[in-house]
Amino acid sequence: MTTPIENIRNFSIIAHIDHGKSTLADRLLEVTKTIDKRLMKEQTLDSMDIERERGITIKSVAVRMNYKSKDGKDYVLNLIDTPGHVDFAYEVSRSLAACEGALLLVDATQGVEAQTLANAYKAIEQHLEIIPVINKIDLASADVESARRQFTDIVGLDGSRAVLASGKSGLGVEDILEAIVERIPPPKGDRKAPLRALIFDAVYNDYRGVIVYLRVVEGRIAAGFKVKMMSNDEKYEVIEVGSLTPQMRAAEDLEAGEVGYMICNIRSLDKTKIGDTVTDLLKPATEALPGYSEPKPVVFCGMYPAADTDYMQLRDALDRLRLNDCSFSFQADSSDALGLGYRLGFLGLLHMEIVQERLEREFGLTLVTTVPNVSYRVTLTSGEVMEIENASKMPPSNEIDVTEEPYIEADIMVPTQYLSAVIDLCKKKRGIHIRVDYIDANRCMAIYQMPLAEIVLDFYDKLKTYTRGYGSLEYRILGYRPGDLVKLDIMLNGDRVDALSCIVHRDRAAIVGRGLAAKLQKLIPRQQFEIAIQAAIGGKIIVRETVKSMGKNVTAKCYGGDISRKRKLLEKQKAGKKRMKQVGSVEVPQEAFMALLKVDDDGA
Amino acid sequence: MACPYCDFVKRPISGDAPDEFTEALCREIAEFEGPGEARSIFFGGGTPSLLSERGFARIFEALHHRFEIAEGGSSSRSTAGAQSSIGRAGARPSQIEITSHPEITIEVNPDDVTPERARFWRGLGVNRLSLGVQSFDDVVLKFLGRCHDTEAARRACGVIGDQFENWGVDLIFGAKPPSAWAASVAECVRFAPPHVSTYGLTYEERTPFWKQRHEAVGDDDALAQYRHAMDALGAAGYEHYEVSNFARTGFESAHNLIYWRNEEYAGFGPGAVSYLGGVRARNLSRIDTYLTRPGEKEESLALSARETKVETLIQHFRTRAGIEHAAYRARFGSEIEEDFGDAIRTLAARGLIADDGGRLSPTRRGYELNNEIGLALV
Ligand SMILES: Nc1nc2c(ncn2[C@@H]2O[C@H](COP(=O)(O)OP(=O)(O)O)[C@@H](O)[C@H]2O)c(=O)[nH]1
Repeated sequence: MTTPIENIRNFSIIAHIDHGKSTLADRLLEVTKTIDKRLMKEQTLDSMDIERERGITIKSVAVRMNYKSKDGKDYVLNLIDTPGHVDFAYEVSRSLAACEGALLLVDATQGVEAQTLANAYKAIEQHLEIIPVINKIDLASADVESARRQFTDIVGLDGSRAVLASGKSGLGVEDILEAIVERIPPPKGDRKAPLRALIFDAVYNDYRGVIVYLRVVEGRIAAGFKVKMMSNDEKYEVIEVGSLTPQMRAAEDLEAGEVGYMICNIRSLDKTKIGDTVTDLLKPATEALPGYSEPKPVVFCGMYPAADTDYMQLRDALDRLRLNDCSFSFQADSSDALGLGYRLGFLGLLHMEIVQERLEREFGLTLVTTVPNVSYRVTLTSGEVMEIENASKMPPSNEIDVTEEPYIEADIMVPTQYLSAVIDLCKKKRGIHIRVDYIDANRCMAIYQMPLAEIVLDFYDKLKTYTRGYGSLEYRILGYRPGDLVKLDIMLNGDRVDALSCIVHRDRAAIVGRGLAAKLQKLIPRQQFEIAIQAAIGGKIIVRETVKSMGKNVTAKCYGGDISRKRKLLEKQKAGKKRMKQVGSVEVPQEAFMALLKVDDDGA
Repeated sequence: MACPYCDFVKRPISGDAPDEFTEALCREIAEFEGPGEARSIFFGGGTPSLLSERGFARIFEALHHRFEIAEGGSSSRSTAGAQSSIGRAGARPSQIEITSHPEITIEVNPDDVTPERARFWRGLGVNRLSLGVQSFDDVVLKFLGRCHDTEAARRACGVIGDQFENWGVDLIFGAKPPSAWAASVAECVRFAPPHVSTYGLTYEERTPFWKQRHEAVGDDDALAQYRHAMDALGAAGYEHYEVSNFARTGFESAHNLIYWRNEEYAGFGPGAVSYLGGVRARNLSRIDTYLTRPGEKEESLALSARETKVETLIQHFRTRAGIEHAAYRARFGSEIEEDFGDAIRTLAARGLIADDGGRLSPTRRGYELNNEIGLALV
């Protein structure tokens, strides 16, 4: 499908969440007749159900469009999608590495946000040509001039060259296409040189195995080629190459500058390293392309089968899920309270929710999930260093020399009137004030360093509440720093429940302990016998709450002799208990294991 | 006359409707394809006084025509396979039991009781009366949305006590104000009915009361009231023979014991439930469709062996007598232990049931938490 290299444009759309990236992408596909309008499901690029429901893009994908420009020439435009949520920020860099340019989209009613900036910097780092686009100009509240100024003043682009558009009405979409052709440089790359193709993504397909998305940088690749992965020397024979339109369409070959897919009998995703270079086995390149560091899970939680799901089912489901999402990790774990299960690692809280939801929805499991935590680094007095991903595995405090926790640097962009609220919030979250940059008359960016643990739980939601939805957040991981951390234990009727243990900062331990005990008291239903809930720090009990014993539970009458109706009601009630875990003599509902998330900063 | 907390099938009465209704009910009885003998009758679920005396008489005639209800009949309870029941307003069916004294009960409200009516009922063969007093406190009666007042309740108790040897009073606890409960129970005891039922107020969906469920008396108060009833009625010589029922020896409700032993019965009337040949079935519950197609079922459920066992145990565990190991074995050909071993052991460990070797029966706590027993068994 040889397209002259000068007629190819590879680009991404980057934007803050909700600024209209998916809508615009759909419109581009429609205008270029890549997809028939009638067949178009809303937001075609978000293909997973969960993605569509939540309106977020998780997996990036590439689509090839044909476009006849006003200069009369036929162009191939490859749109490489990027994910829209901070949890998956690393995937943005992956996608950008396969492009020469990017559309930087800003909602004309919102202006530049934290993610706009973060993504713009990623594109600048990779020397991409950035086309500023002011979107949603169909709205009455659109402020085009202010958006232009922000592009110039905040991002450092030429705001006067911004394209005005509305992904919704289609206004300006042609201008965007023209700008892509005019301003984004064609790829460079010698088609005669030895093959070098960058893997920027991969998905697993039940019928075809792993489908590798790649950008050919030099040389060409075709079915029948013997190739190898430069990172690990794994060798494969290429079965098929092609482009995504967005359906897979096989092609004779892919040449330097082109973007497409490759299928070559790879059985599982962990054999495919994103960022790896594919080369020709017979005529190998000497040097791999610059890759990118693989994302590491930062949030961990336990997942345990609830009563009706068994451990083996969970294991199978995790194995299967891992085939198409290798960004989460898992390893067998066991809990005294919850039995056999797994410890899973995720890129963020949203990622965790998505994985849990997929396990339940796609595999029909009922799971009990424990409160997420970060990983801690503990240096023992013996000098041994351990990574702790599970609070209950924390060694006794007298054996610990230093406990360290991961820190992040957060860029929080807010209208100035909310700055003091944000500073309050950051203080509560143990934030270290770095500086505040005033962006324009109305907005500023607060830069804070703070423990990742404070961010993963509920920071994002809190920020939205504190700023009436106007605050936006972007963060980078800095590394471990020492912290005065203690383990908080919960006891039910005197027995420690490992799945409820958590690690908290000493200053807040008492507040959190009281808050958690109070929440549990509300969440655990009254049972036949009284239940004592105690919170303890370092073995010392700081609070006790009581769940009173059940008063009366009896159906007075028998529904006019309809005994079967009563039995069915009881069966229904019993089914509702499936999410309960029997912990010693106490039945604990699934929400109780997440109670920590509901404890406010002031312990309420 | 409808109680706002009651989810029994009701209908507005107007014009000739009652006669139309009587005819439909009689037709259902006449066309009933089931056993021909009956050992108890229960007119339940509301207010038979709404029927004209003629209508009442018609229904009795239909029953006698269809069923053998021999006074002083010889068949014993265990062999009589036939029951028939009449739920005038449906969901509380009635039964006919062939014993030396077939129990024929009607459920009435205090306002419907007059000495003349009582005589009329006796003349028809009614030998047991269940009086829906609910409370001897006017504030509580208002709270419950009842039409009668305590005066009417007292008068009715006097009339019934004079004319019937076998009668009972229904009381409701869990209503507001809770402080009125002890006095209601005491006054009830003074009238000395041989049978007392105490029902905890429940807030059923699809009743006007459902909206008021936030006003419900707290769990602990309701428990205290229930316990007070157990103590006070026990002290007055009543046997607490079933979760909600107290009786002097010999005055247990034969009709209700059929339910509690999970035995068979037929129900007549809109929404009435039957249990015959292992099938639990419910009549059409809408009055208009019932009138044109009496006896037609809106739901029929053939119970599996397991379901039958579960229901049998749940019901028996409502009664003081519980269930005898031997009776279970005779009925199902298996041991309770092999069918429900785990649940029974857990329940015993929780102190909800006790095993004296011969029988399993609920403890006092097992009465209070009776649904917990059911939950362990399903
Ligand atoms: N008025 C208007 N609304 C838009 C436009 N583009 C997107 N939207 C709406 O903005 C919301 C977010 O759009 P979406 O494309 O999902 O944003 P994404 O999160 O960046 O992919 C949706 O409700 C869209 O319907 C536009 O040009 N004009």
